[in-house]
Amino acid sequence: MKLTAWLGLILLMIVGLIGVVTGLLPDGWLPYDIVADVSPSDAGAAPSAAHWLGTDHLGRDVAWRLVLATRAFVGPGLLACLLASVIGVGAGAVSGFLGGPIAALVRYLSTVTASIPRFVLVLLAIAINGNSTWLIGAVAGVAYSPAVAEAVFSRIDSLQRADFVLAARAHGLGPFRILGYHLLWVNCRRMVGRHALNLFGYLLLLETTLSYIGGFGVMEPQPSWGNMLAFEFGYRTDNIWGVWAPALAIWVTIFCCGLVSDALAERRRG
Amino acid sequence: MADPQLRHDDTPSSDLARAGSWKLVFPVLRLVAVFMLTLAGAVLAIQLLLWASPGDPVDLVPNGEEIRAQLEAEWGLDRSLPERYVQFLGRALRGDLGSSLTYRPGATVTELILPAAGRSLRLLIPALLLSMGLGLGLGLLTAGRSSVVRRLAQVVSVAPVFLLAFVAVHLLNELAFYGMEAGWFGRPGWFALPDTDSAMKSSLAILVLAVGSGALAEVHAAVEDEVVRLRNATFVDAAVARGAPVWKHVLWNLLPPLATIAYGRAAFFVGGLVIVEKVLHLNGAGSMLWQACRLRDYPVALGITVLAAAAVCGARLLGDLVRISVDPRLREVAQ
Repeated sequence: MKLTAWLGLILLMIVGLIGVVTGLLPDGWLPYDIVADVSPSDAGAAPSAAHWLGTDHLGRDVAWRLVLATRAFVGPGLLACLLASVIGVGAGAVSGFLGGPIAALVRYLSTVTASIPRFVLVLLAIAINGNSTWLIGAVAGVAYSPAVAEAVFSRIDSLQRADFVLAARAHGLGPFRILGYHLLWVNCRRMVGRHALNLFGYLLLLETTLSYIGGFGVMEPQPSWGNMLAFEFGYRTDNIWGVWAPALAIWVTIFCCGLVSDALAERRRG
Repeated sequence: MADPQLRHDDTPSSDLARAGSWKLVFPVLRLVAVFMLTLAGAVLAIQLLLWASPGDPVDLVPNGEEIRAQLEAEWGLDRSLPERYVQFLGRALRGDLGSSLTYRPGATVTELILPAAGRSLRLLIPALLLSMGLGLGLGLLTAGRSSVVRRLAQVVSVAPVFLLAFVAVHLLNELAFYGMEAGWFGRPGWFALPDTDSAMKSSLAILVLAVGSGALAEVHAAVEDEVVRLRNATFVDAAVARGAPVWKHVLWNLLPPLATIAYGRAAFFVGGLVIVEKVLHLNGAGSMLWQACRLRDYPVALGITVLAAAAVCGARLLGDLVRISVDPRLREVAQ
């Protein structure tokens, strides 16, 4: 992988780690209280030793909120990736193995889910079932899984008569070992990883978008990169970081997902 | 289709020019069938989502308990899922999507969403064409060179639509502010923030949609790769050798991949449209969907979702039609 891709991966790992840790810690354990931290006297302060990225127009610490906002999307993002990979790889493997009508069904499902805009589907789901970032993750993951299934299926289908599969069969390896190791692990893991990364980036986009527009997603006083941006918009303070730090965070994180995903792409042979 | 000529025309020795139009009939019918099947599946998926959700839609209506029987009959809640699905589909085919719960009492969903969808299409179609055009132009310019442009298109294209809209509004308003302070102009009519529709805001929305939602980078990369491939193709060499114009061949060959990307991205464009309309306060089907979801006006939300799915399926149908009319090889595969 190239240096930029490594940098992107490291950044993503840091964001993910922060998100997991802050998500698992109970509220009282953190040295920062989201609700109590309002001090209008130092509203819109520039970055300093006390406030690394300054404060927003209520005097809340931007850096802390930026860090805590990761739990709004990291957990749901991982859930979405897990659901999409498990359902997608499972359905893809079964249809690749059995072929025929099941494969046709998987392809049909993939076309159908691709025809409903995912943003609209998620919006509808949280409007009906109540607003929760976990639900956003679950719906996005399930809605994305047929796409993964179709990709896995077409890969397996194209490799079924490949020489190495014949060789493995001649060696007396069972169908599950060929499917699980030779086809799925060796030939599909990068592709599934790419899909998972894209989905993670997409979930960050979904969550921040919903929170930015407001009414769904993360609501004040809970921080999200999206609602931090919306909250500061229109206030002229000395602290440009109140607006641009969350914006940059969103942009850079999604770009990193794309970078790593591109680096995972297999080079074309020949 | 019933013409017996068709069978005879299928021989390789037949007059291709005459047979060509006949050979399109089967693939086109097949594509239309796929379109209808996909749409029916999408409606089923939406109905399944509703069915799997806990809660009772009757609770949403203020006097719901009194007219429960009537409401359940109207929404088909007293029936099983397959019956409900068939009923919804049958009504939708006749243009009846129920009536709104929150807009004017008794207003049908169709009369509410169709004008809004018209306003949205006026943003969606120019945005789609603009992103294709921009990607095509940039791709033709930079093909074959290792380019900063490709990286740049990627950087801009991955940005969420709302962030692009946010930055654009921010910059425009700053510009207006400084322009007014410096006395370059009086108060301009195009502040992006107020809740009035203006040409400036619509064009901003089109631009944001065209540049965002990932389409630009995808088109740009596809065009670059395709142009490089075409430059090495023998038929282009032949065209050059004969002194025929090459650009015609190149553009004609670019159409199928462009159509594929256009319909692949159509769903993202529709999703992006909801966001852009909401962020820029534009009055269209997207902001109506958001409003309906906020107020839990299910008939309107469902109607717009079905319409969005129909738009995406329609885009797919159109794209496939373009592809098979340009590339005869795809027709044979389609059969």
